[in-house]
Amino acid sequence: MTATAPVVGHPSHVTDGPMIVVREARYVYPRGRVVALDGLSIDVPAGQIVGIAGQNGSGKTTLTKLLNGLLKPTSGSVTVNGMNTGDWPVQKMAAHVGYVFQNPNHQLFATTVEEELKFGPRNLGVPDEEIPERVAEAVEFFGLQDVLALHPYRISFPLRKLVGIASIFTMRPRVFILDEPTTGQDHRTTGVINRLITRLGERGDTVVCVSHDMPLLADVSERLLVMWNAQLIADGTPREVFSDREVMGRTHLTPPQITQLSLRIPSRAGRPAALSVDELVDDIRGVSPAAGA
Amino acid sequence: MQTMNVSITHVHGTSWLHRLSPLAKLTWVVAIMAFAFASYNPWPLFAIAILGLFAGLTAGILPQMGRVLLVFAPVTASMLVIQAIAPAICSSDCTPAVQLGPLTIYQEGISHGLSLMSRVLAMEVIAIAVLMTTHPSDLFSALARIHTPYVLNFMLAMTLQLIPVLQREVQIVLSAQRSRGMKSTGFGSLLPSFVPVFAGAFERVQQLSISLESRAFGSTGAKTSYRQISFGPIDKIVAVAGIVVGVLGTAAGLLLWSAGQTPVIILPVWLTVVIFVAAAIMFVGVIVIAVVTLARS
Repeated sequence: MTATAPVVGHPSHVTDGPMIVVREARYVYPRGRVVALDGLSIDVPAGQIVGIAGQNGSGKTTLTKLLNGLLKPTSGSVTVNGMNTGDWPVQKMAAHVGYVFQNPNHQLFATTVEEELKFGPRNLGVPDEEIPERVAEAVEFFGLQDVLALHPYRISFPLRKLVGIASIFTMRPRVFILDEPTTGQDHRTTGVINRLITRLGERGDTVVCVSHDMPLLADVSERLLVMWNAQLIADGTPREVFSDREVMGRTHLTPPQITQLSLRIPSRAGRPAALSVDELVDDIRGVSPAAGA
Repeated sequence: MQTMNVSITHVHGTSWLHRLSPLAKLTWVVAIMAFAFASYNPWPLFAIAILGLFAGLTAGILPQMGRVLLVFAPVTASMLVIQAIAPAICSSDCTPAVQLGPLTIYQEGISHGLSLMSRVLAMEVIAIAVLMTTHPSDLFSALARIHTPYVLNFMLAMTLQLIPVLQREVQIVLSAQRSRGMKSTGFGSLLPSFVPVFAGAFERVQQLSISLESRAFGSTGAKTSYRQISFGPIDKIVAVAGIVVGVLGTAAGLLLWSAGQTPVIILPVWLTVVIFVAAAIMFVGVIVIAVVTLARS
């Protein structure tokens, strides 16, 4: 018997090309005829961590909803893992694109955390014997051992947020979409989410992270997209984007404080922006003997 | 997925019905409610419902009204179906009108069912037309002006304002369910969404009550209102007309009723069958669809 490669749409199918291909995607909300996305094109290779920043109403959420098929483009096309989202129902796309909602309360339905983790795989028709293995992996990955038997509404909000992400993790999608993953989180959970995103990227998962949390985007993103007025106006590394005064000014985005500081130090003029304290310290030590290097 | 938007919320507009004072509109709501309870004769009530729909048409809210009425239709139809086969107003001396298989439809039942249905329909149509053309804050001000207790008034206004909020929550929850591979379409999908929506609603109520207390809700003394409602000459004429219609209609209805002038409406057999079958389809059909969807989900 010869093994055949899974066809497009099969949960184990992996595309040869870019994981996400958006071509001239335009979306107009039916009510009020609001243009939420105006001819956007991007390619995202598999395994890339992409951050999306922009003001409220700039089209970030519309773009992410197009990626998992919750919205279908008015014109243009959106292809994820070889599947044109316009041709597939959201339920089928769910095996390939995991969408973590901003408010975990919107996506938790079960009576225990464990049941919550099983909910997605069951909907996808994952065999019963495989589900405990997926749950165990998620419990280890997210550190949920102590809350497994509890009701999702009886645990703290930060933990609930982690359960929300874990409930998508057990579905093993190729692409994770995280909508404001650190909103309302304490410093510790923000750190946990930061490390989780990095680990997802290391596993080869593609992550699209929408956030107003610039330090998070600076830390985890390999690539940063900036939306403004339904259009993509910047696409580069966080270092490049944060250094672009015109883009930052137009979108009223504020780079992380350490990045701003690095750009204002006169002796560093012309050097790339630093994204972390460590980077800046290393840089100063390297360029400034007076700093005691 | 675009879902049908069904909600009894304010629809923006500048029609005559939108511009009419909420006090005048409330007068008509009370008048029609009093008349509906006092009258046994369904025809004037059906006529009121049709006039209410016509008012909705001229105010540009007929499609929205139609959608809400459609949602209530199974409940309205159930009154006729149940009364037709098991009349409450006669026990052993009911007159069979027609036999449909194992079901006997009684003349008194159809007559009583039509009466109940017309009452509900008249009140539904008028109330929906008023709610859809009156901003909740204006309704709040109007009720305050006729000295409705502040807390009661506030409860009503908050309920009306929470409807669109909860509706939006349901949409988000359904999106979240579909994003996790669940076939969340139809009635069956609504059940699992109740948990997050109601949990969110309770949380919101808790936060709202704390927020209200922190902003001096419940303090004594006169309250001021940001929105002022007008009550011009035309509003006064409409309100007086409403009072006259309400008082005369209620008096006439009660007098006829107490004088025993409430004859059973005898319809031709074919019309009886048509009305019963239509109501049964509306009532039983929705139940069957709900059960099948639940079984599949």
